[in-house]
Formats: sequence, structure tokens, C-alpha cells
Amino acid sequence: MNRIARLAVPLTALTLAAVGCSPAGTDAGSSGAGGKKEITFLTFETPNLDAAYWDAAIARAEAKVPGLKVKKLVAPSTDRTGYAKQLLASGQFPDVMISVSPVGFAESGQMAPWTDKELAQYTFPHSNPIGGKVYQLPYNTQPTPLVYYSKKLFAEADITAPPRTYQELLDDSAKLKSKGIDPFVVGGGGKDTFASSYLWTALVGTDVYKQTPDWMAQRRAGKVAFNDAGFKGATDKFVQLVKKGYVDKAGLSRDYANTEKAFLGGKGAMYPMGTWFATAGDKSAMKDDIGVFAFPTDDGSLSVPSYTGGGMSVSAKSKNLKEAKEFALAFQQDKANLDAVVKSDGAIIAMKGYTPPAGMGPVYDATVKVYDAAVQAKGVTNAFLVETGDDALLPGLVEKSYALAQDVIAGRKDADAATKALDEDWKKAATQ
Amino acid sequence: MSLVKERAGIRTDAPPRTPPGTRRGALPRLWHFLGFGAPGLLVYACFVLAPIALSVGYSFTNANQFVPRTRFVGLDNYTRLLTDQEFLTALKVTTILTLIVVIVPNVLGLAVAVLLDRRGWFYNALRGVFFVPVVLSSVVVSVVWQAMLTDDGLVNTALRAMGVHSPPGWLSDPDIALYSVGFIISWQMLGFCAVVYLAGLQSVPQELHEAAAIDGAGPWLRFRKVTWPMLAPALTINTVMLLITGFKAYDHIQVLTGGGPGTGTTATLAFSVIQTGFTANRTGEASAMALLMLVIVAVVSSVALRFLQRREVDF
Amino acid sequence: MQDRQRTPWLRPVVALAVTAAFFLPLYLVLANVFKPGEDISGHPASLPWPPTLDNLSQALSRPDRLFWNGLINSVTITLLSIVLLTVLSAMLGHYLCRSRSRTARITMLVLLAGLMIPPQVILVPVTDILQLTGMMATLQGIVAFNVGYYVPFGVFVFSGFIRTIPLELEESASLDGAGRWRVFWQIVFPLLRPATASVLIFLGVWIWNDFLNPLIILGPAGGTTVTVGVYRAIGEHQQNYGQVFGLMFLAALPVLIFYIALQKHFVKGLTGGAVKG
Repeated sequence: MNRIARLAVPLTALTLAAVGCSPAGTDAGSSGAGGKKEITFLTFETPNLDAAYWDAAIARAEAKVPGLKVKKLVAPSTDRTGYAKQLLASGQFPDVMISVSPVGFAESGQMAPWTDKELAQYTFPHSNPIGGKVYQLPYNTQPTPLVYYSKKLFAEADITAPPRTYQELLDDSAKLKSKGIDPFVVGGGGKDTFASSYLWTALVGTDVYKQTPDWMAQRRAGKVAFNDAGFKGATDKFVQLVKKGYVDKAGLSRDYANTEKAFLGGKGAMYPMGTWFATAGDKSAMKDDIGVFAFPTDDGSLSVPSYTGGGMSVSAKSKNLKEAKEFALAFQQDKANLDAVVKSDGAIIAMKGYTPPAGMGPVYDATVKVYDAAVQAKGVTNAFLVETGDDALLPGLVEKSYALAQDVIAGRKDADAATKALDEDWKKAATQ
Repeated sequence: MSLVKERAGIRTDAPPRTPPGTRRGALPRLWHFLGFGAPGLLVYACFVLAPIALSVGYSFTNANQFVPRTRFVGLDNYTRLLTDQEFLTALKVTTILTLIVVIVPNVLGLAVAVLLDRRGWFYNALRGVFFVPVVLSSVVVSVVWQAMLTDDGLVNTALRAMGVHSPPGWLSDPDIALYSVGFIISWQMLGFCAVVYLAGLQSVPQELHEAAAIDGAGPWLRFRKVTWPMLAPALTINTVMLLITGFKAYDHIQVLTGGGPGTGTTATLAFSVIQTGFTANRTGEASAMALLMLVIVAVVSSVALRFLQRREVDF
Repeated sequence: MQDRQRTPWLRPVVALAVTAAFFLPLYLVLANVFKPGEDISGHPASLPWPPTLDNLSQALSRPDRLFWNGLINSVTITLLSIVLLTVLSAMLGHYLCRSRSRTARITMLVLLAGLMIPPQVILVPVTDILQLTGMMATLQGIVAFNVGYYVPFGVFVFSGFIRTIPLELEESASLDGAGRWRVFWQIVFPLLRPATASVLIFLGVWIWNDFLNPLIILGPAGGTTVTVGVYRAIGEHQQNYGQVFGLMFLAALPVLIFYIALQKHFVKGLTGGAVKG
């Protein structure tokens, strides 16, 4: 013990000295080794976009900006927006971040807007604007959700073609159910609560946004409420699907990766999910058995909620704003990067002159076909809960909505209660 | 083993006699303070006391990362919280969880302690097994249990194999999830309680047992009249430890349920404070919530401590 | 006693069965760490035979060095924190125990109240203080916070033992002309060995296993600890239970070795008063 004591004193002194002398050794924005400028880049990892993908993609873009060193930060869960808020709250807001919803960040001046010149490359340069400005590079379009289904399970229930109207969807669900097949696979367990919300997003798309594209803007203006007939009606359809037993409640125990596994393992016939699922589908053994259709409307017209964005945002307070922007643009314009995200995340790139790599799988091809048809039929709407412009939900409400979707799936709230709760939360978020 | 009693928090020690140094002058006393007392107190003040003071300050404002200008709002945060359904639900959730976490490991830990209260390598090894979860991180424990309790996990697979058609959604059913979380925390803490009770049991003098046996007392009566009173200090240690564990439970909830399923099911106060402060970025409201929580923790812990210690003395 | 006379086999059998049931979840992890991925969902409960080290080597050779970086951080943070905590709380405990003043008593109470404070209550302002001092997202920052947050526990344990040390010992040494510093480190501190062991052991385990504090204070730029690393890996690899379990096993291994090596002291520490409360 005596020896320990003798050792401990100088050790203490040393550490105290270290604490005092080297403040913020790893702080963002400082000059990195060898006189290089260093920026931080917040990413997130999913089964599709793993560490190897990010490292390679960052290295390629980094090479295009001379004298720049990029430090990769990884959000500890797929909720990178929530994590970016946490980083902001603790003073570690990254210089560059990808696929973070700018709502709240933009209005409070935390994010730098992109100029028209910088956006010239993009097919829909003004997607999801906040105060008329775009804060997130709109580099890819993700229809969210489409309904992926197992052809084999459909055949087992004597369903010959995917449903085209909502009534057909109900009939098909009944058939599946009568054969003992769970119609819908949903998720949302553990930290991946978002995976509970896609049926709601689909129904708000077909029953609210299709008729009233600026519905959320009207909500912001206080002209409509969630508890009004239209939105409540859409929510009620969700509630009814649950009531009829078409939605597998056990999904609430599955996190995102396990939800995907459940569908691929034949736990249910239909899987409402964003198009990034296409890659996982193509990688699976049942790739030729997976079909896809747009969530049906009452009258059978095409409606596909979708979101264009998902790209880079830059902190307005970055010490190396110029380099950060250059890196972000280089990252998004690099053909190899885009190919990689198409291959690994099933992205539908929204940049002029881009063609996807050859040899994509059947699920991806089918997905693109549904989306293209919807574009042709002018059936593309915003995606409730995914949208990020200033006509999106108020900051903090998306997470509440996930919880409400879980309440609906668990059968604890009917349409009236869920929409009332959402109005209530809106009021709270607006006054805070 | 009487140490248990002495250390259980009863501070009835005789006042210390004049220590060396008090007779010296003011300057050496200052040096003494600077050398021995100040460093530890300084760090404590910086990272515990100052934050609490800051929290008090924030709690009277609408501080929010997304609202550029911070205003003084008086008691608004408090009055709103005390009528806010969500906060009250979180309070209820915390109460239920803490009750489970205090009762279950205490009861089962005592049972295990009685069961393993024998000497020899065999019982030693078994004791060792029960203590393993205590030294594991809550994240690891939660991932293990999530793998067990998810719908495709081992428990429900086994139940289905036994012919149960729709086994419970341990983590997905809003009525069950909280109890599952409570059970998992209890599983982790069980070994702790068992080991503390075992130490207590082994401090019971054999003669007392024998005397009682001669008086014709059966095993149950002997346990109630001889053993149980001797375990009072162990009960104090366990209960206070479990109270704190229950109140601050966060890791398990984050990994197992993310505060869900749905609203108001497993989001405890500790969880809501972090959500409000770091995800919704409402620093002011989170601070008020944190301070209310602090008051509750302080009141409950000190009442429990006082009650348990009085009980120790009574026996 | 009774059971020894009638059914001597009953207790060991019941004890073994109960322990086995309790251990089942841990067995699953252990077994599946050494099992190829496809067997994990197919035969989760089967014995890992023949065992494979693939999961471990996968976890160890991740291109982003998640485990190795985490390990370096965890070891640094834990060691620095517990050494500092031992030194500071032993001295502070001694100072407060041997001081008769009213202020010292009140200080002791304020300090012990800190035992009850959940970290969530102070984490928001703590990040402000760390930013102010430039220690946010640094190892120094998390170590400094750990020291501040856990110092009440250290003082609690040490003061319990210090009270049992006769004052005469210190008095006679100081009469011999030894300074206060020498008296403490050469005479008192060696006698505090059991308390030191408790403090090192418990705080070592707690700090190693901390999740929320490093998640927020260390942030992403400072790198993760192994515990936060496990949490991060479950998002990416949940489908690949083999690798998650492998990582968990590796993260828990140091604490387990520590525990098995010091098992006796753990129990002593618990029963010797080294318990939050």
C-alpha cells in the first residue's frame, strides 16, 4: 500500500497538470496534425451503411479537398437527428452531418444554407425549404414507405396480384389472416422507435397529403388540426388495421434490424418500409420472391409519399465553413460515393446526369419502377414524419409521433385520442 | 461482521477527541485544509454542487437551444410540470419501477442467501455466479435480455414449442414492458442483495440458533425471531442501494424499450430528464424536472434511511 | 440442520437448479460467442461444439477499431479516475473525520448527500461547465466529472474506516516530528487497505460500466468507451448476434477477470460498509 501511496501522489499531480494544460485536445474545428484543417462529420451506421462504407466514402471525398482532415463521428443509434441535438446541447455540434433533419437547427441559425449555385446539380434543388432556403443537400429521393410483399405468402393466400385499392388491401389482408399469415410486419423496439410509424405515414399520404399537399403548412398556420376529420380519418384507418389484427404487435419488441429479419424470415406478408429496404431485399435469399406496390388509395390512383433530401448539412458556426462545404459537396458529387449508396442503401439519386450502376437487383428495379410510375401519374406526396422543411412537424414532435404510432399498434389509443394527443404536444412544442 | 452494523450508516460514534493539529495556529490549519480537504471538495463543488446551482437558475428560464433568446419565466416550468400529464405519468412509472426494483431483489436475494448459506467450495461457486451480473454493465445485461425477450427470442420460441399460441410481448406489450424492465434490473441486482444477506446470515452466532432450537422453536420461528432481526443492517444497505438504482435507471430503458412501447409506459423521470434536456433541447424544463426529481429522491431516501435505521436500533 | 438430517441431497440440488436457471441468459451469450452466426438463431441453446473464434476475431478486427479504441479509452478513464478518487477521497475523508469543527460536519453531510444524486439530474449543467473549461469531449473532462461525482462514495467508505483507527497512533507519530503529510501517507493510509480495496474495486467496476456519462461527456469526438461501443454496435449488427455477443464478451472480460481475481475483496468490500447508502 505504501508503494501505491508513493506512486499515487505524483500521478495525481501529473493528471491535474494534464487537465490544466491541455484544454480541449480533441475539440472540433482545431487544426489537425501536420497543419491540416480538421472538420468533424456526423454519420450513422445501419446494416446497409456500415463502418466500412463510411470510411471508404469519406476517404474519397477527403482526397478532393486538399489540406483537409475529416474526423468521423458516429451517432450511437440511427436517430442521428436526436443525437445531433444532443451534441448541440453539449456544445459538440459537428461541422458536417448527413441526413439530419434541419428543422429547428436551421431556424435557430445553427446550420448554413446552401446557395442556388451549390444546388445547381440537383434535380429538385428546392426540396424541403425552411424560410425559403435549403439546408440539406437534396441528393436522393426515398419513397417512404412502399409496401414490400412476399409473393410466396400472397400465393398461399390465393392472391394473384398486389392490391390496387384500399378495399382490395383489406380483402387481401383478410385472406392472409384466414390462412394464419400475419398481413403486416412492423417494428419499433428498443431504440428504433421510428420503425413503428410507416403505416401512419402511408395513410396520411394517401388520405391527407394527396388531397391537400400543403396540409402541414396549414397546420402550422393553425387553419387545421390533427383532430379534424381528414387527419383523424387517416389515423382511424391505421387504428382499424390494428383492430382487425392485421398488424403484428410483436413488432414492438423488434428493433429495426430484427424487423427486417422478421420480414425476410417470412413472419408476415407485407412490409411497409422505405426504399432503402430494396438493397437488403436484393441481398437476401428471397430476392426473387419480393414484390413491391404503392400503398393503395381508396380510388386506386397512385400515391407515393416520398422524401427528397437526406444529404449533407453544414454547421453555420463551423470554423472551417468553406472547407466543410467543399467536403460536403465533394462527398455528394463523387460518382463512386453515389454508386456505393445506391448499391448499399437502395437510394434513388436525384442529381442531374446520374445513372445508377448496372446490375442492380430485382427488388431495387421494381422499387424504381413504382416510383417512376408515381412521378408520371403526379402521385408523389410529402412523407408525414419524414419531411423536414418548415412545413414539417415542429421540432421534437416526430419522436412523440413515433410513440403515438406505438400506442396505436398496441391498441391503447384510438384515432381520436392519438390525434388529440398530437395536437396537445403541438401546443406544448409551440409554447416552449 | 459487526462491521455491517457499524457501517450501515448509523453515525452514533463518540465525538472524536482532540486531533493532532487543532492546537496549532491558523496558518498551518489553512495548509492542512488546502492539502487534504480542498482538492476533493473543489472537484465535488465543480461537478455536483455548481451544476445543481446552475440547474436552479435554468429552471426559472425557458432556456432552449432552438430558441435564441432565453427569458426569465419564473415558476412557469414548475407549475406546468406539476399539472402535466406526461410528467405525472413519468412519476408513476418511476414509482412502480422503483418499487419492483426494491422489493424483488430483496425478497429473492434473501431466499437465495438462505439457500446458499452453507460453507464449502460448491456454495462459494454458486454465490460467485449470482454476483456476475452485478459487475456487468447494464448495457450488456440489457442486450442479453433483449435477445431473450424479443418476440423471436428464446423465451417465446420455447413457449411456442410448449404450445402457447400467442406468448406475451415481454417488451412490446405496454402493460408488461415496465415489469419486464423491472425484472431485468432485479435480476442484475439479485446477486448484490444475496451477498449482503449472506454476510449478515453468517454473522448470526450459532449459539443463538442452538439456544432457540433447545427452546423448541421450529425453523420458521427461529428465522423470524433470531435471524431476521440480525439482518436489519443488511436490509438497510440493500434497500438504500436499490432505491438509488431504481431512481436512476436509464441504461436499461434506453436499450430495451427506448422509453416505449408507446407513450407513458417505461419512460421514467431519469429517462425524461435526458430526453427533454438533450433531445428536445428544452434545458429550462429539463432542469425543473431534474430538481423535482432531486427533491423526491432526497425525501424518499432519507425517510427510508431513517425508518430502516430506527428499525435496526429497535431490534 | 434439519435438512442435514432428513434429505441431505435436497439443498444442493435445489441450489444448483436455481443457479442454473439464473445463469441461463449468461450461458446463452457465452455459448453463442463461440458459435458460427447461422447457428445462433437456429440453435440458440445448443452447446458451441466445435467452438469457433470467428465472432471474436471479427469483433477484434473491425476496420474502425471500435473495440481497441474503446478499450484504450476505458482503461485510461477507469485507471485515472480510481487512482485520483482513492487519493482525494482518502485525504478528504481523513480531513473531515479528524476535524472537530461544525463546518466539517456540515461539509460531510453535504458530501454524503451526493451519494443519492442520480447523474441525470446534473448532466445538463455539467456539460456547460465542461464547455466553459474546455474539457468537453476530452478524457480529462470525463475523468474530472467521475472524480467529482464519485468522491462522496470514496469519502463515505474511507471515513468509515478512519474512525476505527486509534488517534494515538497519529499523535505519537506527530510528536516524533513527522509532518502531517508523512503521518497520513506512512501511517494512516497503509491501515486503510480494506477501504482502499473497496473503493478501487467498486468504483473501478462502476466507471468501467458507465454508459450515460461517457455517451454524453466524451461525445463522439473523444471516442467511445467499450460500454458505449457495445451500444453502438447493436444498431449496426443486431442481425449478427455473433459479433454483438463477441463484442459484449470482450467488453465484459476485463471486469470479469478483475472480479474473479478479487472475489474475496468484493464480498469484503460489500459487507465492510463499502456500499452506497
